[in-house]
Amino acid sequence: MQEGRVLPAEQVNRDLLRSILETPKWFWPVVGILGLIVLIAAILIGYMINRGLGITGLNRPIFWGFFITNFVFWIGISHAGVMLSAILRLAKAEWRRPATRAAEVLTIFSLMTAMIMPIIHTGRPWRILYWAFPYDFARGIWPNVRTPLIWDPSAILTYLTSSTLFVLIALVPDFAVLRDRTTGISHRIYGLLAMGWEGNARQWKLQIIAGVLLSALILPVFVSVHSIVSWDFGMAVAAKSWHSTIFAPYFVVGAVHSGVSAVAFVLILLRWMYGWQDYIRHEHIDGLGRLLVVVATGWFYFFVMEVIFGIYGREADEIAVRSLQFIQEPFQAWTIIFIVTTYFIPVALWLTRRARRNLWIMSLACISVNIGMWLERYLIIVPGLANRTAFTFSWNSYVPSVYEAIIVGATFAFVSMLLLLFSRVFPLIPLYDIKEGDILKNESVKIGRRVVPAVFRED
Amino acid sequence: MSSHSESHYPHDMWVFPDAQSTTQDVANKTASTPKILKLGLVIAGVLAVLGVVGFVLRMATDGFSDYGAWGYYAAIFSYIFIITSSAPLVAVAFRLTKSHWRRPISRISELFALVGVVNVILYIPLIYLLPSINNPNFTPGMHGELQIRKTIWMEVPVGAPHWWDFLGIISLAVLSLVILWVSVVPDLAETRSTTNGWRKKLYTLLAGHWYGTKKQWIHQKISLALLGALYFMMVVFVHFLIVSDFAMSLIPGWKDSILPPLYTVTGFQSALSIILIIAFTMRKWGGYEKYFGTSVFWSASKIQIGLTLLWTYHLFAFFITLWYGRMELEQNILRYLMFESYSWIFWLNVIFIFLIPFWILVWNPVRKTAWGPALAGIFILVGNLLFQIRIFVGAFNAGDIYHLGLFKVPPPVFPDVWDIFMVLGGIGLVAFIYLIGTRILPALSVWEVKEGAMYQKMGTLYRGEYLVLAKPE
Amino acid sequence: MAKRPILGLFKDANQAADAGDALKSSGVSDRDIDFLTDAPYPEGAFGEREEKHRLYLFPFIGATLGLSAAILLTSMTQLAYPLVTGGKPILALPAMAVVSYEGTMLGAILFTCLGVIFESRLPKLKSGLYDTRITEGYIGVLASVEDGDLDQTTGILNQAGAVDVKTEG
Repeated sequence: MQEGRVLPAEQVNRDLLRSILETPKWFWPVVGILGLIVLIAAILIGYMINRGLGITGLNRPIFWGFFITNFVFWIGISHAGVMLSAILRLAKAEWRRPATRAAEVLTIFSLMTAMIMPIIHTGRPWRILYWAFPYDFARGIWPNVRTPLIWDPSAILTYLTSSTLFVLIALVPDFAVLRDRTTGISHRIYGLLAMGWEGNARQWKLQIIAGVLLSALILPVFVSVHSIVSWDFGMAVAAKSWHSTIFAPYFVVGAVHSGVSAVAFVLILLRWMYGWQDYIRHEHIDGLGRLLVVVATGWFYFFVMEVIFGIYGREADEIAVRSLQFIQEPFQAWTIIFIVTTYFIPVALWLTRRARRNLWIMSLACISVNIGMWLERYLIIVPGLANRTAFTFSWNSYVPSVYEAIIVGATFAFVSMLLLLFSRVFPLIPLYDIKEGDILKNESVKIGRRVVPAVFRED
Repeated sequence: MSSHSESHYPHDMWVFPDAQSTTQDVANKTASTPKILKLGLVIAGVLAVLGVVGFVLRMATDGFSDYGAWGYYAAIFSYIFIITSSAPLVAVAFRLTKSHWRRPISRISELFALVGVVNVILYIPLIYLLPSINNPNFTPGMHGELQIRKTIWMEVPVGAPHWWDFLGIISLAVLSLVILWVSVVPDLAETRSTTNGWRKKLYTLLAGHWYGTKKQWIHQKISLALLGALYFMMVVFVHFLIVSDFAMSLIPGWKDSILPPLYTVTGFQSALSIILIIAFTMRKWGGYEKYFGTSVFWSASKIQIGLTLLWTYHLFAFFITLWYGRMELEQNILRYLMFESYSWIFWLNVIFIFLIPFWILVWNPVRKTAWGPALAGIFILVGNLLFQIRIFVGAFNAGDIYHLGLFKVPPPVFPDVWDIFMVLGGIGLVAFIYLIGTRILPALSVWEVKEGAMYQKMGTLYRGEYLVLAKPE
Repeated sequence: MAKRPILGLFKDANQAADAGDALKSSGVSDRDIDFLTDAPYPEGAFGEREEKHRLYLFPFIGATLGLSAAILLTSMTQLAYPLVTGGKPILALPAMAVVSYEGTMLGAILFTCLGVIFESRLPKLKSGLYDTRITEGYIGVLASVEDGDLDQTTGILNQAGAVDVKTEG
């Protein structure tokens, strides 16, 4: 993992702050297009609130469709941040350095996007204010804590707050660099955000400890968030194929799978957009690819367990849902696509070093994973509800409307737009992390004729 | 040089053994049998004999027709199987992640392959004990009874489950022995010329082809990686088979997709714990202190606390999914395994596997010692035994296994003297075989430790002294 | 007499470490010497004093407060309007456990972040002696010395290879 060269601090500052101090020509047009898509979606959301959820394809018995699928999907993407930042930091993997901030920021924006989904899904979003928040004077009753639909906001808000604070704390030294590099109003704002940071030994020591401590604290939160989201389905007894004890770890591993793939794709994009070849190198993408092989295989194990124990009970209703998913159209085609795109194609590619180091192949593999994982959530939710059980008194099928498709598509534009806007004001690669990596690179260890690259380790 | 960098971590955090003397030192230790080891062998041997006595008398009193009487046997089989099959994973997994701290403990973990052979023998009675999947008393039109009880083999249980599970156990035993052999060959080759007697013959037989050429090293590295990955997948699969066939499907109505992962996590947690206990013993009393720095325990303890939390998480996921829906059959499963029949074992299980180890390992200064993770490991091993007893004794005594579900909560089954003999005997047998194994094969992976010594040294950066870690890949 | 700050800027880390040694030899206490860098160097790299902190207290305090708040919130609100839902008890401990767990972690993380800012002695309302070249890779050796020792200290820093020496005012 020592393919890069040691760069002088001025060059690191110049390269990584270029996106903030200079504006590439493509920047505002791209943000404008993305903003337009988001605006269209916002108008459609307003229209939907005005006209009611009837304009979507939702109907009895399929009350959850595209929006909830998208909600779970974006919660999944948000897990990349902690996986890469926290776990790799605790494991002291040197190759995490350029990936951590992009992953953490993707987490924050994914969570915000995910939260929008159930809010608009209520049809009357303002009611969330008294359904979910703990006060009783609007409805004469407190929120019911005995439901995963209340555990959800507590977990997601905890994760969002934690991730945001994690990013902000780690940004303080970079605010100081920006404070020193800017003038005028920017200088004052960055100066305020830097809070007087000087870079003395005490401040750096606490930064490092904060990184490790917050990583260790956020890890359990990250596991709990998607587990709780999975329990939105797992707790339900009526919807067959949902009531499975494995949902929690299955969803978490799936989230890591889709999230890390998304981050790998984002890193490849950033490398290309900002010319960061010296910082986001083939070795980083290679490392991510190898990690993804393990994560994908773990996900596949949980998927197989879920299916096997779904039909283990040999209950007629459950078999009917599995048959709907795997044998009947239209879901059968989607199931085949989902399994192939989530596991077989990407893992087959990631097993070879050449493919892992080819940025085009890696991009395609990562997109494939996210297509598959979006489909996975859809195939859990919709067939589970579509199954005709004894007490279903209305048997409609679900056809997503164009409004849902546009709103869901716009969430990708929303996250992309937020990432680009973030990169305009804050560095997406932590400067001091890169510089620290260069400091720790030792001259190397000589073994016979071979000179082996080495790093200093404090612990 | 800064003095505070010295006080920042323990003086024995990292060790740099001398490559020249390591081979002979370890060979001498392997060939010697100190008094404490002899005492351990005697105690283990006595326990093993007690186990045989218990087994024979259980067979004499209950035969193999009443599988309910063999619940504790199944529990101790599972305990031994889960630990000894998971143990080589410690070497495999941390070799794949290129963690340098695994070097001194990798042979300790691989040596459990020798006990893997015992798993095959211990499994044989279970073939006769396991009730048939087909209900022998079923007649068409029967209410509340199943013709085929619920198993992972569904409607086509050809040769299942006995022979497939047996094949799985044999495969694991063989694969772990192959991994052990591939790993130990360089060490045996180094000592085959300096040793004599039966060791010389054995080492020449096992490692006569090895000369340490570059090609051989490359093949060894690739073999260990591929075999390791294969072993990992096999272990997870066979764990799924054993726990589904011998626990889940014997409790009517118990459908639990998280049980196989929970079982695997328990195994991995216990395997790491026992390896740390052995490493601590070797370091403290075996004269191996110059090979085990406290960094080994510090790094492993993070995995240990992670697995402890993971175990608790899986258990909670199982519990809350069954608790939430208030369905009578699921509530009965919870009452049986957690809150009524086996409640005291369950709470002790939670205290020993989670509460105590967590509060030991959460303190960084304790994690930086050798005794801390080893102490936590002892509690984890006791907790795992309680877990196996709760699950397998519960499964073997759950009443009519062809019922649709658990309509009544069965009472707990307490061990009698033969059960206690068998449980202690199983532990003694494992200890006996393992200790004998450490006299035949070196308990330290000499080639790996020497390789690590090439890649690690102390270096100076400006005014501080720090570890320098070379990364060849 | 009041101590005055003096800042020496170095391009090379070895020279900065030499400067630190020279200052200590001349009688400046290591409590009065700080090394300002744009990236974290391994602890002790410049021979600086060990920084003691109590950051580890903060997560425990935060966790305790978060746990207490969550338990109070979940239990008191359910007892206030006791309605049985889904056959579950009014005080459903497993459900409370989930929310309490989140509250505990939120408290721990919030207080940890506050602790980091507090222990870093931030926000620093009054800006001290500083140079923007520090974030360009220069290393600042910041010392607090008596008024009368300023010239001697300037000489020590220059001799160690400082590219610039600054004092207040």
